[in-house]
Amino acid sequence: MNVDQLSEALRRDAGFMENVVRWEVLPPRPAAYAPFPEELDPHLIPAFEKRGIHQLYTHQAHAVREVLTGKDVVVVTPTASGKTLCYNLPVLSSILKNPDTRALYLFPTKALSSDQVSELYDLIQLMGADIKTYTYDGDTPGAARKAVRQAGHIVVTNPDMLHSGILPHHTKWVKLFENLRYIVIDEIHSYRGVFGSNLANVLRRLVRLCDFYGSHPQFILCSATIQNPQELARTLIGRDVTLIDDNGAPMGARHFVFYNPPVVNQQLGIRAPLLPTARGITEMLLKNGIQSITFTRSRLNVEVLTHYLKEIVRDPLGNAGRVRGYRGGYLPTERREIEKGLRAGKIDAVISTSALELGIDIGALDACVLCGYPGTIASAWQQAGRAGRRKDTSIIFYVASSSPIDQFLVSHPDYFLGQSPENALLNPDNLYILLSHFKCAAYELPFLDGENFGNAPSSDQLLGFLEESGIVRHVDGRYHWMAEDFPASDISLRSAASENFVIIDITDPAHHRVIGEMDRFTVPMLLHENAIYMHEGTQYQVEKLDFDACKAFIRHVDVGYYTDADLNISLALLDIEDEKKDPDALQMGLGEIKVTALVTMFKKIRFDTHENLGWGQVRLPETDMHTTAMWWIIPPEISASLPSDQLKNGMLGVSNLLRIVAPLYLMCAATDVVVVYQVKSPITDQPTIILYDQCPGGIGLAHKAYQMQHLLLDKALDIVSHCTCSQGCPSCVGPVGEVGIDGKETAVMILRHLQEKNRRLTEKGGRQKA
Amino acid sequence: MNLLDKLRSIESKPREAPKPAPVPERTCYVKHITRDLSEFPGCFSVTADLLNLMWKEQLPQDLHPTEILYLDTETTGLGGGAGTLAFEIGIGRLTESGFQIDQYVMRDYPEELPMLTCIREKLLQSRAICTFNGRSFDIPLLRSRFVMNRLRPDVLDLPHIDLLPIARRLWKMRLNRCTLSHLEEEILGIQRHGDLPGSEAPKRFFDYLKTGEFTLLEDVLFHNEQDVASMCTLLARMAHDYDRPERIVHQEDLFSMGLALEKERHQERARTVYRMVPSGKLHGKSQAHLAKSHMRGGEIEESVCIWLSMVERREGGIEPMVELAKYYEHRAGDLREALRWTEKAILTASEPSMDTGAMQDTLLSLQYRYDRLRRRLDVLT
Repeated sequence: MNVDQLSEALRRDAGFMENVVRWEVLPPRPAAYAPFPEELDPHLIPAFEKRGIHQLYTHQAHAVREVLTGKDVVVVTPTASGKTLCYNLPVLSSILKNPDTRALYLFPTKALSSDQVSELYDLIQLMGADIKTYTYDGDTPGAARKAVRQAGHIVVTNPDMLHSGILPHHTKWVKLFENLRYIVIDEIHSYRGVFGSNLANVLRRLVRLCDFYGSHPQFILCSATIQNPQELARTLIGRDVTLIDDNGAPMGARHFVFYNPPVVNQQLGIRAPLLPTARGITEMLLKNGIQSITFTRSRLNVEVLTHYLKEIVRDPLGNAGRVRGYRGGYLPTERREIEKGLRAGKIDAVISTSALELGIDIGALDACVLCGYPGTIASAWQQAGRAGRRKDTSIIFYVASSSPIDQFLVSHPDYFLGQSPENALLNPDNLYILLSHFKCAAYELPFLDGENFGNAPSSDQLLGFLEESGIVRHVDGRYHWMAEDFPASDISLRSAASENFVIIDITDPAHHRVIGEMDRFTVPMLLHENAIYMHEGTQYQVEKLDFDACKAFIRHVDVGYYTDADLNISLALLDIEDEKKDPDALQMGLGEIKVTALVTMFKKIRFDTHENLGWGQVRLPETDMHTTAMWWIIPPEISASLPSDQLKNGMLGVSNLLRIVAPLYLMCAATDVVVVYQVKSPITDQPTIILYDQCPGGIGLAHKAYQMQHLLLDKALDIVSHCTCSQGCPSCVGPVGEVGIDGKETAVMILRHLQEKNRRLTEKGGRQKA
Repeated sequence: MNLLDKLRSIESKPREAPKPAPVPERTCYVKHITRDLSEFPGCFSVTADLLNLMWKEQLPQDLHPTEILYLDTETTGLGGGAGTLAFEIGIGRLTESGFQIDQYVMRDYPEELPMLTCIREKLLQSRAICTFNGRSFDIPLLRSRFVMNRLRPDVLDLPHIDLLPIARRLWKMRLNRCTLSHLEEEILGIQRHGDLPGSEAPKRFFDYLKTGEFTLLEDVLFHNEQDVASMCTLLARMAHDYDRPERIVHQEDLFSMGLALEKERHQERARTVYRMVPSGKLHGKSQAHLAKSHMRGGEIEESVCIWLSMVERREGGIEPMVELAKYYEHRAGDLREALRWTEKAILTASEPSMDTGAMQDTLLSLQYRYDRLRRRLDVLT
C-alpha cells in the first residue's frame, strides 16, 4: 500500500476519523528558480550542469550573492530545500579562485558532519578540483590529523571538537587560522539554551584567535524556521547578519493528521494513553509496508515502544531487527548500523528520540508519527520532514498525549501550521559559561590590558578575578595563563554540569561494560539506587550509585514496572535585577535565586495500567543551583480576600497554565523552565508565582519571560477561558483532584486581575515616557 | 551583588593570592655548567653511520658529535596546548674541553621571547637535535611557543634524534619501563639522589612566580641538567651497542637489537645479531627471524637449513614445520614432502604440551593445507 492509498482508506475509517481533530493536506509547492550568480567561479557551474542542474532555487542564488559581497548571512528554509548549496557554492568558488582559502564547517553532531563530508566529496569529484575536505572529530585517526591541519581546505567539525581539540591547540592550525575565510554553522536553531550559550563563547574565542593570525572570516549560518533567526544568529556570533528566507524549493504533498486519543474519563479529563495509541498507528504502518519513523519525547518511551513493537515483528527465530530503537546513549557503532539499515530499507520502523531529527541521512521515509509534541515547533517540522524528503506524498501523524501542552496544540492546529511563534534563546553572558570560556581564552592567548572578549561585558573584572585566583599573572600589560590545568577539559558544551556519569552494566561479573552516560543533574532522577533504567528495550536495576566517582552500576532485571522519582525544591533570593513595585499596578521582579533540589523518594509504576505499585526512599545529596528567575506578586486585594485553600488552588492553576504556555514561546523543553507558586514566598514575603531557568546561571528564559510576561498571561487566560471542561482538566489548570473544585474559577480571577494591573503598569509606563 | 562578588561566590575555592615577584630585566636568566668528559665515555665515537642504523631520519654524513644539540625543556604543564609554556630550556653540547650545558630560564613571562630567541640562535649553530621524547613533546611545544611569539619555527626542523623510541626498541623487552631515570639506573648505572620528579616542575615554577624565591627552581635546574647530561651518555651507549653488538650481555637486548636493525632494514647486520643470540629461550625466535630474513632475501637454502635444524632441536613449536611445508609445496614442488611436514605439524600441534587454544586458526589452515595437498596428490596418482 502506498501513502495515497493508505490515506484514502483511513478517511473512510469512521472509527479512526472520530479522533482526528484536523486533517490538513499541505499542497505540493512548485519551485522558484534563479540563474547561477555571475560572481561564482566559472569552473564551478559545469559540475552542476553534468548533474542536470542548470539553475538555482531563489534562496540559494540570493544567499550566494550576499555572501560573495562579504555579508554575514543566516539562511532560513525548511528541511530538504537544498540549503547546503547556500554555503557550499560560495565556499568552493572562493577556494577555486584562491587555493589558500580555508573554511570551517560546524555541525551539532558527529553523524551530521560525516554525512556532509560525503556530500561535499561527490560535488568536488564532479568538479574534478583539488579541494580537500576533512572531518576532524573524535573519530579522526591520529595519523590523519596532521594532514587535516596542514592541507584541509574545508575542515568539518562540531562545536565540542572546536572547543577542546582545535582552539586550545591553535598553534598547530596556523594555516587554517591565517586563511580562514568562512565559518559555516548549520542547524543553528539547535544552539539554544546551554549549548548555544556555550557555542557563542566558543565563537568569541575563535574570532579572537583569527584576529591574532590576521584573518577576518565571514559567517554563513543556517536555521530551521523559528520566529527570531536573525536575533539568534546575532546573539551567537555577536554581530548583525542578513536574513535569507525566500525559499524556492519544491515540496511534495503532505498530509498532516492531528490525532487526539478519545477521552476515557470525562470528570478527570483523561484521554486514552499516548503510547498504545501511537503503537497502534505505527503497527498499522508496519503492517501496510509503509516505512516509518516514530518520534517519542523520552528515552524511556523509545524503549517501551520498541519493546512492544519488536514483539509484533519477532520471527520464529526470535529476530526482530525490522524494528529498532534509536536514542542518545547508544554507542556510535550501533547508531551508524541503524542509520545504514534505514537507508538500505532493512528496517521498517524506527522509534527514536529527537536524536534523529537533524539532517542525518536515513533516506526518505513515507510516514512519520510524532508521539506527543517534541518540545518545539521547529523540531516538530524537522521530525515531520523525515517523511517525504523527496517529492512524493507523505503522511505525518501528530498524536497528542494527555499532557496540557499537547492538548493545547491539538486544539490549536494553526499554531503548528501558521507562522512560527518560537524564540530561540541563549545567554552568552551567563556568568558560569562566560567565566569558563574566558579561562579557555586566557589559556589560548594572553589577554592584553583593555582587550575585550567579543561583546562580553566586563573583561577587566573577569581578568581581575582570575588574577586574584592565581590563574593568570598580570605583567607588562598582559595576562598570562599561570596554571597546569587545561581549562577546556572542564567544560561540556551540551550540559550545564561538567561531569557526566558513566553507566556500567555488571550483569556479567566477569565482564563489566559501559553502556551509556548521563549528566549530573539527571542522575538523581533516573539513576538513584533501585531505579529501573531502560536501554534498548532492556530493563536494568540500579544496584549502586557512586556519586563521588560518577558511576552507576546496573544489573539486568525483568520486572513489570518502571520507576519515577519525586523532586523537592526550595528557593532563596540572591539578587534583584529589576522590580516593579507600584502598589496600584502589577508588582513583579527579575533576579537571581538559589534553587536547592533534593530527590527523596521514587514510585514504582506498572507498565500498561500505570498503577502505582509502591515507593522507595532515595538518599542522595542536595544539589544547589544559582539561576535567574522572574516573579509575579498576587495582588494583595485578591490574596487578602480569599480563603487560603482557595488562593492556593488558584495559584496552582495559574502556575500550571504558565507551565504550558511558557515553553511554547521560549522555545525550550518543558523541563528547562520551572513555574512554582509560594503562598508566602521567601523572595517577596507575599503570595508569588515564580518562573525560573532550570540551568545554572540561567540561559535567558526568565529574562525573555519578564519582557513578554504580558503575552504569557494573555495566552494562559486564553487557554483556560476556551477550555470546555467544567472545573479544570489537565489541559488547562490541572485536574479537579489537584486544583480543587474552585481552582479553575480562581485561576481565571487571578489572571484577570493580573491582566488589569498589567494594563495600569503599561499605562503608567507610557505616561512616564510622555 | 557586584560582578566580582558573584564570581567569588560561584567559584568555591579561591586560590592563594600571588605576591608580586621582583620585576626582572628583560633578558632571561642563563646558567652555564661544564661537566668533565670522563662522565661521557665513548661520546666522541657517535658517528652519522651509527645514527643512521638507529633511526630512519637522514643525518648529514659528516656530522660531528659536537654538532649535536641535546635539548630538554621544563614546562608549565603536560597538556601541550597553547597555554603550556617551557619556562626552562636546557641545551647541552660536547666540546673538546667538556660537556657544556646552558640552562635558559624565564623568570617571568616577558622573558619568554628573549629565552626563545637565545634557543633559536643555538639551534641555528647546530646540525642535529637530540631529545628524549622530543618528537611528541618538547619540539611541538617549542614550535607552539615560537608561533605564539611570532618567531619563525623552521629552525626546529633540524634532523632530530629522539632517544625514547630507540630506547624502547633496545630495552623495553627486558626493562618494561623506559623512562629516562629508569634507563639511567639500569643501563648507565647512574643513581640520582634527591631528584625532583619532573612532574613537580610546574608547581615549583608557579610557586616561584608567587614568592619570587629563585631557590625553588634550583632542584628543577639540577634535574634538567642531569636529564641533558644523561641524553649524551645514553646516545653514546646506544652507538656503542650498535657498533659492537657482540658486547651486549643480555639475550633480550641482543634479540631486541636484531629486531631494531631489521625494522630499519639493515638485513645483514640484523642477521649477524640474530646469530649471536645464545641458546636459551630467545634462540628459537632469533633463528625463526633469521630464517625468514633469508627467505625474503631469496637465500632459500640457508632458510631451509635453519628451519630443519630448528625442528631437530625442537625449537619454535610448529612454525618451522609449517614453513617447510610451504617451502616444499610452493617452491620445491615436492608435494609428498610438503604433506609429510604438514602431518608432522598437525601431530605436533596436537601434543598435550602445546597451547592449542591460541592456535585455532593455525590448526584450521593446516587442515586446509593438508586437504589441498591430498587432493593434488590424488590427482597425480
